[in-house]
Amino acid sequence: MELLLTVNGTVWEVSARPTARLIDVLRDQMGLSGTKEGCGEGECGACTVIVDGKAVNSCVMLAVQALGKEVLTVEGLAASGELDTLQQKFVEQGAVQCGFCTPGMLMSAKALLMANPLPSDQDIRTALAGNLCRCTGYKNIVAAVRAASGQETVAMEVPSEKEELLADLAVPGLAPAKLDEGGE
Amino acid sequence: MSTTDVVAPATTDELVAALARATPMTRLLAGGTDLVNDIRRPGRQTDLLIDLSHMPALSYVRHDGDMLRVGAMTTFTELQADPLVHEHAFCLERAASQVGSAQIRNVATIGGNVANASPCADGATALVALSAEVTTLDGSGHRATRPLRDVLLGSGRTALTDGEAIVEFAFAALGNEHRSAFAKIGWRTAVSVARLSMALVVRFDPVAEVLSEVRVGLGAVGETAFRDAVLEGLLEGRPADEESARILAEGCADAVRRSIPGRYSLPYKERAAVGLAYDAWNALRICPPCEPAWG
Amino acid sequence: MTEDLRYVGKSYPVHDVAQKVTGELVYGSDLNFPGMLHAKLLLSPIAHGMVRSVDSSRAEALPGVIRVFSHLNSPADTYCRARIYPGQECAIDETLFSEHVRFVGDRVAAVVATSQAIAEAAVALIEVDYEELPALLTTEQALERADVPIHADGNLLYEHHIESGERVDTSGGVLVSSTTGTPRVHHAALEPHVCVAQGHSTGGLTVWTTSQGVYGVRTVIAELLGLEYHRLRVIKVPMGGSFGGKTEFILEPVTAFLAHETRRAVKLLFDREECIRATMVRPATETTIRTACAADGRLLDFEAATTLDSGGYAASTPDYADHMCEKVTRLYRLPHYDHRCQVVYTNTPVAGAARGWGAPEMITAVEIHLDKVARRLRLDPVDLRLKNLIQPFDIDPVTDMSLGDARVVECLERGAVAFDWTARRARARGKGRYRRGVGVACGAHKNGMFGHFPEASNMALKMNEDGTFELSASLHEVGCGVVTTMKIIVAEVLGVHPDLIAAGEADTSTTPFDYGTFGSRMTYVAGACAEVTAKKLKSAILAAAADVLQAPVEELVAREGVVYVAGAEARSVAFRDIARFGDMKHLPAIRAAVTYYATSNPGSYSVQFAEVEVDCATGLTAVTDFLAVGDVGRAINRGMVKAQFQGAVQMGIGYALYEHVDVDEAGRSGVDGFKNYHMVNAPDMPDIDVLLVEHEGDHGPFGAKSVGEIAMVPTAAAVVNAVNNALGTELSDLPLIPDRIIAALAASAGGGA
Repeated sequence: MELLLTVNGTVWEVSARPTARLIDVLRDQMGLSGTKEGCGEGECGACTVIVDGKAVNSCVMLAVQALGKEVLTVEGLAASGELDTLQQKFVEQGAVQCGFCTPGMLMSAKALLMANPLPSDQDIRTALAGNLCRCTGYKNIVAAVRAASGQETVAMEVPSEKEELLADLAVPGLAPAKLDEGGE
Repeated sequence: MSTTDVVAPATTDELVAALARATPMTRLLAGGTDLVNDIRRPGRQTDLLIDLSHMPALSYVRHDGDMLRVGAMTTFTELQADPLVHEHAFCLERAASQVGSAQIRNVATIGGNVANASPCADGATALVALSAEVTTLDGSGHRATRPLRDVLLGSGRTALTDGEAIVEFAFAALGNEHRSAFAKIGWRTAVSVARLSMALVVRFDPVAEVLSEVRVGLGAVGETAFRDAVLEGLLEGRPADEESARILAEGCADAVRRSIPGRYSLPYKERAAVGLAYDAWNALRICPPCEPAWG
Repeated sequence: MTEDLRYVGKSYPVHDVAQKVTGELVYGSDLNFPGMLHAKLLLSPIAHGMVRSVDSSRAEALPGVIRVFSHLNSPADTYCRARIYPGQECAIDETLFSEHVRFVGDRVAAVVATSQAIAEAAVALIEVDYEELPALLTTEQALERADVPIHADGNLLYEHHIESGERVDTSGGVLVSSTTGTPRVHHAALEPHVCVAQGHSTGGLTVWTTSQGVYGVRTVIAELLGLEYHRLRVIKVPMGGSFGGKTEFILEPVTAFLAHETRRAVKLLFDREECIRATMVRPATETTIRTACAADGRLLDFEAATTLDSGGYAASTPDYADHMCEKVTRLYRLPHYDHRCQVVYTNTPVAGAARGWGAPEMITAVEIHLDKVARRLRLDPVDLRLKNLIQPFDIDPVTDMSLGDARVVECLERGAVAFDWTARRARARGKGRYRRGVGVACGAHKNGMFGHFPEASNMALKMNEDGTFELSASLHEVGCGVVTTMKIIVAEVLGVHPDLIAAGEADTSTTPFDYGTFGSRMTYVAGACAEVTAKKLKSAILAAAADVLQAPVEELVAREGVVYVAGAEARSVAFRDIARFGDMKHLPAIRAAVTYYATSNPGSYSVQFAEVEVDCATGLTAVTDFLAVGDVGRAINRGMVKAQFQGAVQMGIGYALYEHVDVDEAGRSGVDGFKNYHMVNAPDMPDIDVLLVEHEGDHGPFGAKSVGEIAMVPTAAAVVNAVNNALGTELSDLPLIPDRIIAALAASAGGGA
C-alpha cells in the first residue's frame, strides 16, 4: 500500500506492505539506517524514534500507525548539519562505545528533555530504562543527558519509592507494616 | 504471505463499519506492542487489521457521576499522568507506571492490555481490583457492558467475539475514604513482566476504624488476573494495623498456593507473595487522600 | 614521566563517535548491495538426532527463492570456528550443515532468496525428518552415556592437568572445599550477528564481517572452500559490540559458501532469538576447590577440578580450559597448585570465547572459595587475601614467566581505604526485610598470548604529503576505542595531535597480518607495535629533516609537527615541508613498517568492592555501591579506560545476579529474547567508581597494560560475596536469581530455627 509519512520534517511517499513495521520503512525504504534493530520485540530500545513528541519502539509499531504523525529519527537531530546539544554531550562525556544503542538512547533522552527540561538522575534512568547498553554501564550516558539539560553537577536525587514507603508517614488509620524475617 | 487489508477508522461509525467486516482472521491493533510481532509470525494469517490508533474518541479519562470512565485507547503514559486516575484509581496509576518502558507506555493501551489477556498484565490486575466493567462495540453498532472478570477467560483467551472491540472501562471512582495500591515483583526494578502482582483496594471507615469493601486483585498466579474472595474476607472488618498486614501477607501466600499448586515456580512465589503483600499494604500509605467528596 | 605526556592519559571519544551520534555510521547489519540476496537458516528444533531426509521442494518452488542448501548439497568437510592461523591445532568438528544435529539451533539448511521475507517464508516450507537420539544436557549425563557419542571420539572432548610446586605438610591446617557453578551466558552485543559476502563471477569472494579477526576468517573460509588466499578478501566493518561473541567464525563460513555458490552478494542477519540459540554462549563451568590453609591464613595447598560444558561443538573451549588453569597462580602465591580441567560435549548451545576467556569463570570460583576460607578462619576477607597475593615481579610457577610489575596488593590496599571497607564491613547487616552486605574480590588476567603463540603484531605508518599520518594496521574496533588508542600512542611519539593521524581497520587486502582484536593483546602488544613503528617513523622524519636543514640528526628536536635545530631554533622545518621536500627531491618516502614481537605477558589486575542490599522477601538484590580498582599500568585513554570498567561491572553484575541461558528437558532454552534474558538496565545500575593504579614497569606502550577483559574478571565474585555477607549464606551457584536466594533463606530458616 502507498503511505505518506512525515519523517524529520519531510513528507515521504513510500510503498510498503500493510504489516510493514515503522523501522522497516525507515531503514529499507527511506535509507534512514541510523535507527537500529537489536531485539525486534521492544525490549532493547535501539530502534527508538520519536512520534508526535513521544519516544516509541519502531520495531513494534506498524508504519500505518505513524500516518498523519510527525516522526523524528536520529538523522533529524542534526538536520542543520550541526550536532544537537544532546549529541554533543554524548561525544564529550564518553557516552558512546560500540554506538549501536546510541541512536535509541539519544531519541529516548531527547523525548525526555522535550517533556522535562530539568530531569533528575532518577528521571533520566527511568526514561532510559527501556534502552539497553552492553558497553558503558550507563554512567556516562546519564551524565551526558544531565549535561545536555544544563545541569553540570550531580542532580539532587529524589528519594526512591522504597525510602518513601518506609519513611514514617503519618497516615491516619493505616499502620505501616514491616516485614521481619527473624534474625541471623 | 497472504495479503492483509488495513483500515484505520477515525470515527465510531467508521469503526462499526470496519468491525462489520471482521472474520476470525481479523485483528484489532491498539498500541501494537505485542500484536505487531504476533501478526508477523510465520504462518499467521491476518485478513484485516483494524488500526484503532487514529480514534481520539477512544482516549479519555472522565468522571461520570460516581463512575470513572476510561477509553480503551488511553495509553499507560496517559493513565500514569491523569489527575482523575491519581485521585480516584491510584492502583491503576501505579500499575500503569510499572508497565514496560517509557517507549512501551507511550503506545500500549489499557484496552490492548486487557484484550491481549496475558496473565501478568499489570493494567488488567488493577482493573480487576477496581471491579471494572468492560463496554464493547460490535459490527452492528451494538454496545455491550459486562464485568471484566467475565471477559478474561484465561491466558491469551477472552470472551470477546470476532469483531467485538473494547471501547471503555468503567468502575466506581474511589472516594476519600478509599485507598488503593499496586505492587509488583519482576526480575528487575523496571521493564520486567510481573512474576507476581497485586492490586489492593480498601475503604477505611474513619468512625468504626475498620477496613471494608476490600478488593484484592492478583496477577501472574494463574491463567488470568483475578480477585481472591478468601483473601478479601480475611481483611474485611479488621483494623488497619500491622496485624492486618500480616494477615494479608499470609493470605496472599495461601492464595498463591491455591492458584498454582505443584507449579515449578510455587516455592518462590508463595514466599515472594508475602513481600508482595507488604509492598502493596505499605503502598496504600502513599495513596493520595482524595479531594472532598465528588458529586 | 606522566606530566611529560601530552596526549597519553587524557580522555578521547571513540574515533567514529561523530558518525555514531548522527546515525550515519554503516554497521554490518546496515550493509546493502545492488542485487543482494538474503539468507535464512533452518535451525535444528531438536537437541540431538540424525537428519533422515530434507525435502526442500516446496521451498524451492516459492517465487523469489534462489537456492536451498543442506548437508545434501554442501561440503562435508569439517572446520574449527576458532582457528586463527593455518595449521593451528584445534578441535575440528563442525560442518556447514549438519546431518547429525547436536543442539537446538544447529544449522540444518539455508535458503537464499531475493528478500528476507521470502527467505523466512521458504525456510518454514522445508520439511526435515529427524531420527531423535537421547539428548545429553548436562556434562554428567554426557560422561555417563558413552553409548551416545555426540562426536565420533566420544563426549569427553579434552582434559588438561596442571601441577606446580610441591605438596607441603598441611597437618594442623584448615581444610575448606567449595563448588561454584557459573552459567551459560549470552554475550548480548546489541547488534545481532551478521555477515555479508559477495561471490564474484571470477570465483573470488569478498566478505564483510563484524569480526574480531579478519585473517582467521580468511584462513577458515579459504581452506573450507578451496580458495587461494589472494582471491578471498575479508573486510572488517563497523560492529555493535562483541564481548567475544563475534571472535569465532560463526556466520562467515556459511555466508561465504552461499555467496560463492550463487556468485551473488548474500546477507545473513540473525535475529535475537537466533543469536541466543545458535551463535555461542559463555561456557557453563563447575569448579570444585579444596584448599588447606595455615591458621594465620596462608594458603598451603590448592586443588581445583573444573568441568566445562562445551555444548554441541568444541569451538575454542579446549583452549579456554587451558587458560582457566593459568589464572590462580597469576593471583596467589601457592606452594602447591593442582588443577584438573575436563571439557565435555553436551547437546546444548555451543560455548566459546567470551570476555575474559576463562578468567571470570575461574576467578569467580576462587574468590567465592576464599570468602568461605575467611569465614572458617574468622579472618577479614581483605586480610586473608593480603596474606596470599602475588608480589611485583613474582614468577608464575605455571607459565614460568614473570608477572611483571603486578600491583594487585596496591589495588587491594588503596581500594579498601577508598571504599571504607573496614567500617562498612563492621556496619550492621540488618535483621529485617532488607539486609546489607559488602564483598570484595581480586582478579588477574593476561596481556596477549605470549607463552602460547609467537605473539607479534605488524604495522606500517606513513607521513602524507601534508604532514598528516596514516597507520595501516589490522585493527578491529569493537567499541572499546582501539583505533583511538593507537592514534594516541602514535601521536605521543610523534608529538602531533591524534586528530592528525588516521588509522583504518582490518582488511586482508590492505592491512598487515594480525591475529585479531582479542586476548587482551591490543594495548600491550599492538600498542607496543604502534609505539615502535612511530619511533621508527620519527627517525625517518628526523633523517629527512637533517637533510633539509643540513644539520646532524643528533642536534634535531621535534615538537608539535616542527623539527628544530637545538640551540638554533630559527632553523626549523615543518613535518609538512619535510614530506613535500621528500617527494620533490625523491628522498626515501617517509614510512616505517615494523613487526613487533612480544617478549612478556605480565598480569593485569583488578580488585573490586561491592555493596548490596538484598530484599529477603522477594529475593531481589540491588547493588547499591561499587568500586573497581585496576592495575592498568598506564591509562592511554583515561575516560575510555574508566568506561571499560563501568561497562564491565555492568556485565559482571548481570553474570552474578540475572543472566543465564538454561535449557529445558528437551534441550531447548526458554530464553528467546531480551524479554526473558535480563541484563542490568539503567535504573538498577549504581554509579561505578573507578580507581586506577598507574606505573610503568612493564613493556606496554608508556607502561600500559590490558583493561577490557580484566575489568569484569572479579565483578561477579564481589557481588556474590556481598550477598553472602548480607545473608550469612554460602551461595555459589550463579546467577543468584531471586528463586535461589529465597530457597537459601528458606533452607537456613528451616535448618537453623
